[in-house]
Amino acid sequence: MKDKLKYVITIVLTSALVFGFGAWFLLKEPTKYSESERRTLSLLPEFSLSDVLSGDFMREFEEASPDQFPLRDIFRSIKAYASEYIFNKKDNNKIFLADSHLSKLEYPENPDMIQYAGEKFNYIYNEYLENTDADIYLSVVPDKNCFIAEENGYLALDYDKFAVRVSEQFSVAEYIDVKPLLDKDDYYTTDTHWRQEKIADVAETLCSGMGVGFDGNFRENKLDIPFYGVYYNQSGLNVPYDEIIYLTNDVIDGCKITNYDSGAPADYPMYDMKKAQSADAYEMFLSGTVAISVIENPAAKEKNELILFRDSFGSSIAPLMAGSFSKITLVDIRYIASSYIGNVVDFKNADKVLFLYSTVLLNNSLAMK
Amino acid sequence: MLFSSIPFLYFFLPAVLLLYVIAPRALKNSVLLISGLVFYAWGEPRYVVVMAISIIVGYVFGLLIEKFRGKKLSKIFMLLSVGIDLGLLVYFKYVDFFIDNFNNITGLSVPLLKIALPIGISFYTFQILSYTVDVYRGTVPAQKNPVTLGAYITMFPQLIAGPIVRYSDVEKELRHREHTLKKTYEGILRFCVGLGKKILIANALGELCETFKATDEKTVLFYWLYAVAFSLHIYFDFSGYSDMAIGLGKIFGFTFMENFNYPYISKSVTEFWRRWHISLGQWFRDYVYIPLGGNRVSTVKHLRNIFVVWFLTGFWHGADWNFIVWGLYFAVLLTIEKLWLGKYLAKSKVLSRVYVLFLIIISFVIFNAAGMGEALQYIGGMFGIGAVGFAGNEWLYYLTSYAFILAVAAIGATPVPKIIVGKLQDTKTGNVAMTVLSPVFAVIIIVLCTAYLVDGSFNPFLYFRF
Repeated sequence: MKDKLKYVITIVLTSALVFGFGAWFLLKEPTKYSESERRTLSLLPEFSLSDVLSGDFMREFEEASPDQFPLRDIFRSIKAYASEYIFNKKDNNKIFLADSHLSKLEYPENPDMIQYAGEKFNYIYNEYLENTDADIYLSVVPDKNCFIAEENGYLALDYDKFAVRVSEQFSVAEYIDVKPLLDKDDYYTTDTHWRQEKIADVAETLCSGMGVGFDGNFRENKLDIPFYGVYYNQSGLNVPYDEIIYLTNDVIDGCKITNYDSGAPADYPMYDMKKAQSADAYEMFLSGTVAISVIENPAAKEKNELILFRDSFGSSIAPLMAGSFSKITLVDIRYIASSYIGNVVDFKNADKVLFLYSTVLLNNSLAMK
Repeated sequence: MLFSSIPFLYFFLPAVLLLYVIAPRALKNSVLLISGLVFYAWGEPRYVVVMAISIIVGYVFGLLIEKFRGKKLSKIFMLLSVGIDLGLLVYFKYVDFFIDNFNNITGLSVPLLKIALPIGISFYTFQILSYTVDVYRGTVPAQKNPVTLGAYITMFPQLIAGPIVRYSDVEKELRHREHTLKKTYEGILRFCVGLGKKILIANALGELCETFKATDEKTVLFYWLYAVAFSLHIYFDFSGYSDMAIGLGKIFGFTFMENFNYPYISKSVTEFWRRWHISLGQWFRDYVYIPLGGNRVSTVKHLRNIFVVWFLTGFWHGADWNFIVWGLYFAVLLTIEKLWLGKYLAKSKVLSRVYVLFLIIISFVIFNAAGMGEALQYIGGMFGIGAVGFAGNEWLYYLTSYAFILAVAAIGATPVPKIIVGKLQDTKTGNVAMTVLSPVFAVIIIVLCTAYLVDGSFNPFLYFRF
């Protein structure tokens, strides 16, 4: 009797699971976008005889079925917890939790990628800057693994050597070292980026390195929305969310920001509250991914123009440097081809040019155009 | 279609089970035949035709062999059938290998045909061969019903990766089989064990192997970590798939032969091959080794028979020289054991097992290499030749990251878990606990595996290429 009960319970439970989720899958509305992963999901293919005969239908179905499975986010969390706490894996899809920080393995160093980034920088210099009076600077922003990986048994780049190698690739630039000013608390715990309220000293060092003054008086403003960074969603783990604190002062408040992206140039706020409500609240800083942004400071007493070649780390530090320049032009060569920049940016008036890039982008630089 | 995939677990399997349950007894084989064809077509729509030709050849020649039993024609039909089946196998699997080697020897540039390998062709060809040969030998009668023979060949639980179920083993069950709660329960648990072995352990170890292959930091210890991880990976991958096949077979009322019996506890390579891919070993024994005379011939012929069988075993696994070398490697080891070493190995409990594990690990490095060049590079690396140092950061990181899975795999490759469960069941309390734990175990495994399928991308199956 006991055995029969065991048989029946096992058969009923497993059948309910397999038949139930199978039916749910077929009946549910397709999900087009995953908010948690910030990506478009594959949709089940339309049935057609030609696709079936070619095998395309089955291949696309196989690819799409994990994306469209019911309770996808819950299953992703189950996997994350199983990987972390049952199987004791140090990382799950390269995401790991250490010192209360979620991060992503960035290893090994890719010499080819560093060389590629160097070639892009040199191209820009030779094409636009060689015959100007602008001073050229370079600074590498270490990702937070620099401060949490090795200490916790994770693979880590040799950040000092990495910076030297980048510097060697772009030897015309004077290197400004900001690594000694940073530690893990200067980064969001759930995101890759640094916290703006913690990097005023970095902005000051960059400005003094370029020979310009810096006013470090800022007001702190707290965004009253929880910030779930990119690693929070990728990890599937339930860890405390971050808060975004952004800095203002009268100079920042008075700046005019013009973005040159697709379409006509348009005015934007320094801190974009619409973007603050989006899936990636960090995009509130200078409206996130924009090919070219110009910050004009009407309070500047004299002309002093900076061209800042940057990645997303530049979005949050540029506002802090706004008071030190009459105009900052931010260029993101992931979104505009290097060969096209000269049509939009006036290099002749540049006094300073800073290449400010994170190790993450430099080590995976193929996105640079 | 992989068993360890969402389309199989949540669409194909429930649909087939539903049809199978509601189908009257007379139509159950038809359901198996149709589902087998759909299962096969899911991965290879074009090659259903190839499989259909093989089935028709087997069916027609089976009848002809029986009709002319005792006459010369019977043998001719058997040879014709074997020739056609092997011809298809050679054409689809080996023709480019032969052309490539012909080009290398002659310096000519005969273009390669670049034919995609029909999934499972090595498995179902061997099943059909065993059927026609068994009919010729009079071991089994020819199957008059094409649906029944078709259901046997296309039976999806064992269609693409074995075990190589012989017609003689399931002939009675094809005619009449019992479906009981106990068999279904056992089938479900066995399937879940296989699913867990495949997704939770084999896939993780496979990731580790891929990580090693991609890194530039190939140190001596990382080579060894890779070699051990791959040896466990292939065992859990293939034995997990066999467990799923055997479990599904039980659910559909069949009893398939065991394909693995804890091979890594073997005390000799000879014993290893009695425990690893048992259905293949027995197939070669019964259809190649014994017809060649087996061991009841002179020593020279006996050794020839061993080398022929192991050359073919290696070649069966893949059309590349590393597979042939892999097979011959075992021929050499088995010969040494038969002539000299075997008696010493039998006396030792620890050293013999270390000896087996060492040689098997080396063998799988050859097996998994992309050609003999890589095989030699990897084996050299394990002994410091060409390695970039002894230890290194990556080795240590991946060792610690995969330590738990490696430990579980190492223990799971021994009979220890089975013994513990057996002893638990023998006690009154344990038996009661199993009533609760069995369904909980099945549900947890399905949920965990689904989670890994939903979130993961690494889900290959090594034996698909055979």
